[in-house]
Amino acid sequence: MATTWWVLAALGVALVWAVWVFNGLVQRRNRIANAFGQIDVQLKRRHDLVPNLVEVAKRYLAHEAATLEAVTRARGAAVSAAGSVRQQPADAQALAQLAVAEAALAGSLGRLMVVAEAYPELKADATMRSLGEELTSTENRIGFARQAYNDEALAYNDAAARFPDLVVARLLGFLPATMLQATQSEAERQAPRVAF
Amino acid sequence: MRIFEHQDAARSRTLRLVLLFILAVAATAAAVHAALWLCWQLLDALLPLELGLPHRFLAVNIGVTLLLVLGGWWIETSNLALPGGTERLLRRIGAREARPGSSAAEQRLCNIVEEVCIAAHMPCPEVMVLPRVQAINALAAGLDPAASVVVVTQGALDWLTRDELQGLVAHECSHIHEGDTRLNTQLAGMVTGLELVWRFGDQVRERGGLAVLFGSAIMAMGSFGWWAGRALQAAVARQRELLADARAVQWTRSRDGLGGVLRKALTQQQQSAAGAAGTDPAWKPVLQHLLLVSGAAERGGWLAAHPPLALRIQRLYGRAMPALPLQADGAATQPADLTPATA
Repeated sequence: MATTWWVLAALGVALVWAVWVFNGLVQRRNRIANAFGQIDVQLKRRHDLVPNLVEVAKRYLAHEAATLEAVTRARGAAVSAAGSVRQQPADAQALAQLAVAEAALAGSLGRLMVVAEAYPELKADATMRSLGEELTSTENRIGFARQAYNDEALAYNDAAARFPDLVVARLLGFLPATMLQATQSEAERQAPRVAF
Repeated sequence: MRIFEHQDAARSRTLRLVLLFILAVAATAAAVHAALWLCWQLLDALLPLELGLPHRFLAVNIGVTLLLVLGGWWIETSNLALPGGTERLLRRIGAREARPGSSAAEQRLCNIVEEVCIAAHMPCPEVMVLPRVQAINALAAGLDPAASVVVVTQGALDWLTRDELQGLVAHECSHIHEGDTRLNTQLAGMVTGLELVWRFGDQVRERGGLAVLFGSAIMAMGSFGWWAGRALQAAVARQRELLADARAVQWTRSRDGLGGVLRKALTQQQQSAAGAAGTDPAWKPVLQHLLLVSGAAERGGWLAAHPPLALRIQRLYGRAMPALPLQADGAATQPADLTPATA
């Protein structure tokens, strides 16, 4: 009889521990979702900024229509890729497309800023200076949001791989979170250079 | 810089120091009792009367001492804990809220605060500016992380590059994130409480006669507690500065940002020592422990709230680095729109 009570007590403790680990993992997984949402918010900020930037630049860059068009086109592609990801958040292909589209947008914005360097009137334009600051800030925010996502993913993966929590994680299907990879090329790694 | 090791070391040292602080308060109460007991025994020996110890001598001595310490702590902290208490204090020293719409530098500052808060996963604090202070400095205040304030001087806005300002803001946000502002206020409250013990002794002494003996004993022990408390509070503050430096590097992934701030502050400190810069503002001693850079730091010693700048720079870079010359950052001083920047 005493043995039965001991077994029941041990099972009770194990159950409480499992619930505790489960809640911890769910909390960490939610934080990852939240961090991912933050990246989306910042990408949208970049998308919203681009039309204003192009509008102001257009007044001064009459001979750089191709550059401006490339920025607008890249923005369109990025907005539509972001839309697909919002509809299918777990789709790895949509995520990859978004990464490519965002890298292209960052690249074309960088080229626009390099071109703008050669136009002193554009550089002196107060609205352009303000937009330049907003763009720099947005690029930083995207970078920090990615960094924050990776920090959360690392904390979750660590928690799910630690013994004995690992047992609960495996049994209840807590899969490892994917870390965002650093962009591949040197040009992509450079945030658009804004020097106003 | 091994940022995570530095952070762990700073945290465990803080814990040890806080425990020592609690011990110092207990030791002060015990010392007051011991001193009064000695005085009583002395009187007993010198006077021809059979005095005997008063009823509940130990409980009263310890109780009154702790009541003074905790009362002082409560008065000091409850002032700041009132809604808007921190903001009122900051307004009294001349701070005002940042105006991103009217100044490019302040637009940049507000953006940077939001960027760092994304990196730190924390709610954005209120942003304020000290417009008449040319020294590169900043402070974080507020007992609750959700209602905290980051204050940056005009000097920091004028002399720092964007990356440097980011390092500075990250350092201040670390103080909020790690609860340093709350810890500092609690310790400062306790130090005030320990000072009350000294004052109580002084009041007792003023009564004259035999009270001079007892009052002096209380004053001596209160003074011991006060100095020990101040030294430990400063030691905790120095550890939190090092922790905030490491946090700033972690969040910004750059040591040159904060490194540049400290090296430029070093330049200003050297100029100030040479008499080239103005004197410190009157509020500086009051908020010394909250600032990024304290003038008293270079004097070092037990009561400095900050480690010397040279030491902090050395920890950031792993070697000594020279001071950086000050150069106005043109990008920040240009107005964002047609409204001129107000400073």
